[in-house]
Amino acid sequence: MPDWKGIVRERAACLHLGGAAEADLIEELAEHLEDRHRALRCGGASEEEALRMAVSELDDTYPLRAKSKRTPPMAKYDAVPAGDALRGNFLEDTWRDLRYAVRAMRKSPMFVLFVVLTLALGIGANTTVFTVINTLILNPLPVRDPAGLVSVAAAEAKDTSKSNGPLSISHADLKDYQARNGVFGSLAGYTSPRPLTLQEHGASEQIFGELVTGNYFATLGLSPVKGRFFLPEEDSTPGGHAVAVMNYATWLSRFGGANDIVGRTLRVNNLLFTVVGVAPPNFIGLNAIFGPDLWIPAAMSEKLFPTYMQNALNDRGKAFFQAAGRLNPGVTRAQAEANMATVASDLAREYPDADAGRTATVRPIRDVVLTSTRGDSSSILFGGTILLVVVGVVLLIACSNVANLLLARSAARQQEMAVRLAMGASRGRLLRQLLTESVLLGLLSGVFGLLTGYAGLQLLFGMLPNAANFVTPRLDGSVFVFALVISLATGFLFGSIPAFHASRASTAESLKEEARTTGRSRRKITLANALLAGQVAFSFLLLVTAALFLRSIQYAYEIDPGFQTEHLAVFPTNPGQAGYGRAQTKAFYKTVRERVASIPGVDSVAWVTNMPLWARALNGLHVEGREQRSREDNKITAIVNTIDPGYFATAGVPIHHGRAFGSIDHETATPVAIVNERMAHDYWPGGDALGKRIQLPGEKGMRQIVGIARTANYSAWGEPPQPCVYVPMEQNYSDSMVLYVRTKGDPRQILIPVRREIGAAAPQVLIGTTRTGPEVIDGGLFQARMGVALLSVFGLLALGLASIGLYGIMAYSVSQRTREIGLRMALGAAQASVLRLILKQGMSLVLTGVLIGFAAAILVGRLLSRMLYGVSASDPASMAGAALVLLAVAFLACYLPAYRASRVDPLTALRER
Amino acid sequence: MPPTSPDQEWKKGSAELLVLCLLEDQPRHGYDISRLIELRSGGVLRFHVTTLYPLLYRLEERGWIEGRWVEKAEQRRRRYYSLTPEGGDVLQAQRKSWKEFVAAIGRITGVEHA
Repeated sequence: MPDWKGIVRERAACLHLGGAAEADLIEELAEHLEDRHRALRCGGASEEEALRMAVSELDDTYPLRAKSKRTPPMAKYDAVPAGDALRGNFLEDTWRDLRYAVRAMRKSPMFVLFVVLTLALGIGANTTVFTVINTLILNPLPVRDPAGLVSVAAAEAKDTSKSNGPLSISHADLKDYQARNGVFGSLAGYTSPRPLTLQEHGASEQIFGELVTGNYFATLGLSPVKGRFFLPEEDSTPGGHAVAVMNYATWLSRFGGANDIVGRTLRVNNLLFTVVGVAPPNFIGLNAIFGPDLWIPAAMSEKLFPTYMQNALNDRGKAFFQAAGRLNPGVTRAQAEANMATVASDLAREYPDADAGRTATVRPIRDVVLTSTRGDSSSILFGGTILLVVVGVVLLIACSNVANLLLARSAARQQEMAVRLAMGASRGRLLRQLLTESVLLGLLSGVFGLLTGYAGLQLLFGMLPNAANFVTPRLDGSVFVFALVISLATGFLFGSIPAFHASRASTAESLKEEARTTGRSRRKITLANALLAGQVAFSFLLLVTAALFLRSIQYAYEIDPGFQTEHLAVFPTNPGQAGYGRAQTKAFYKTVRERVASIPGVDSVAWVTNMPLWARALNGLHVEGREQRSREDNKITAIVNTIDPGYFATAGVPIHHGRAFGSIDHETATPVAIVNERMAHDYWPGGDALGKRIQLPGEKGMRQIVGIARTANYSAWGEPPQPCVYVPMEQNYSDSMVLYVRTKGDPRQILIPVRREIGAAAPQVLIGTTRTGPEVIDGGLFQARMGVALLSVFGLLALGLASIGLYGIMAYSVSQRTREIGLRMALGAAQASVLRLILKQGMSLVLTGVLIGFAAAILVGRLLSRMLYGVSASDPASMAGAALVLLAVAFLACYLPAYRASRVDPLTALRER
Repeated sequence: MPPTSPDQEWKKGSAELLVLCLLEDQPRHGYDISRLIELRSGGVLRFHVTTLYPLLYRLEERGWIEGRWVEKAEQRRRRYYSLTPEGGDVLQAQRKSWKEFVAAIGRITGVEHA
């Protein structure tokens, strides 16, 4: 009996079936041959003949071989089978599309690189801005249930029109607010962050501290990451408990996240404080941007700031606190405000000296979080919206760039599409395949965009000086969702138009040989041109906006602030916080004045309480002789500045009437004051302010006005004029003052010598951030400069993207028209006329874009006009500048391909197919 | 592909129908199928193993027939093929179109069916 299996196995070996399939096949065929052999033998065939005939059946293995290849060879290379008429499995199709897309991307890495870079810039810019907005506006407070929190502040009852901003509340009033209201589960008070002196290892450093009531953290619903928050008794006895809760970021950055931080003692303002806990991460208080290093119980305020918070716990005239309350369930903000107004009017009746004419306002906590002092959060919202729109436009430009590129590619892929359509693929299926490709590109760009955005945030927030006190960008879930959504949307946006066009490929036309060289259809060129003109228009709009703000800031720098800045340097000091007594502090002022004045290059020096542009107005000034009117009327808000006699000369503020202070205005002499022209004009319109008397808040006696000084800027650069009162330092002691130095030359040269002299006079006294006059202006214009910087960056980004797009389209169209150009030149066209032809084509597109952009800029300028200073929204210089820059760059982008076209060798071009 | 003679082409076209017909009344193994085709065609039609088995596998893959290893006492195990319900439907359809085809050819060639 022959070994049938052996025979079959031998023949089947070349099939490489392997495994169970081969064993089954061999067994089945062997049986068959055996049966056949037996039948032949029975039929009378010889053994030899039967064997030969049976085995001969295996001679032709071709059908077997064809069968054995289960998967068709084409599938390995074409993931989207041509005849995809049958509806496939959705997931399977998607998977195939994805694999195909990855392969297509691998085939053209430069294209992918360009797309990803372009989109990553756009998505990155959006992510950065969104993160900032998310951190500052959308989700500013990491507290429990922010919706239930409201801000409570005092306000002028009568004042309905201008500057009815929230006012601070005195500690005693706050206590009454807490006790008498019927709407809050708890009501907490807090001050703004105030500079403190931290003494460590014999050196002094500036940190910031916020005084808060004992229930502050409980009201906000926070829990400490380490230790605990304040106990009720720690805020009950004045000066009794020197404890502090530390900011999380401060704990990490200044104390290295030390495990034994709880229980450590810190010497702050010459007092020993025990750290009892660390606040949760990202919490920097109720201000969105700047927070303290330490929170300290309000009961410590008088001990911590013995001079300016003297008697602050009981004196209703000393208002340092803001309040935040958690509403009882079911209580609306309006109900709470009505309730608080009742409480406030009771207080006004009981304590008319301090509280007359005051009411209380209840506002959403968000309004206060965004603006620490002035009650207008709309400018931040407005700015945020503008930035979002701007980066949105940048992304649109990036998208249209990529869409244009895809359009160009779709011309090249037309044959591929046509082949697929001819093989029976549906258009919907093709569309889906193309969209999968672009969405994949979008997602890939999204990943890089997120990285770009992260880098942008590092750059942006890295510019802030004291990182622990400032808000840190929160890259939370919503940022990721945002990035994902815009990546997907981007993919659809730039992918859908080209995909739609490509999938409309005409089968017959495209399959013809000529179709390969005719390039894009007329429709595609038109669409590409429209996209391009749009890009130019948007870039122009952004450039104009940036130019307007730039001009605006130029004008702002030229504002006369009312004091000299060119030869000025200021040095804040705080001898009181170093533990100096009154006599010691006075001696310090005298010594420093003498030492610094003797430095070569110093013209004059003066001690002043207010930093330039950092002054805050005080309430409760009385003007003698205005008693006839109602009580509320004679409460005047004004800047109060305590100065030494050298101030007017040093700061360059002229006295227009009367006299400056002198040595006769000593401690025991008649109390005197100098007012500014604004104040003189407002309260003594007849021009007879000299000799009149006023009473400062917190003072018992009257002061006689001896001079009228020119009005200057006190709180902000370019502010509207506000009243100001100067008092001599001999008659108004302060334990922290700023040294103003007027120099003969560049103020930067005396910074080090002055610091050295102050240090020599009192090594323990902390010198705060020194500033030269120009730095003072920079600080005053910080927000505006930031805005201009961002707008310029985005404007240039848009310009860059648009010119790359322009260059790409021009280069492509030139390469498509090489034959035509060759023909023209062969027929006698000069190089110059070819150059002109191509340039004309490109530049007419640019001009169209500029014209559209111009119209849009005029409309948008109107919206922006409230943020501009000194320039009109249709400022010709800005428009012309932006147009010039754009036209120059666009010209270059068109010229390069045009030049190449004009160099075409007619013979070569004509030979080209 | 090696050159094929005309009658091979005819065979290929009708082979599916033949196999389905043979499995209509009972399951059969491969040798049985090839033997019956040769027998009933009077020796005119004959399939080699290398043609028959790929055809069986193809029909099985389409779900028209089903192969199953069957062990009987005192016998080698054998693979029996049976018609699936879907195969039955296909058979009816193919039989009908074959009749029409043959009738059409007959009308043209003048070779009338009995």
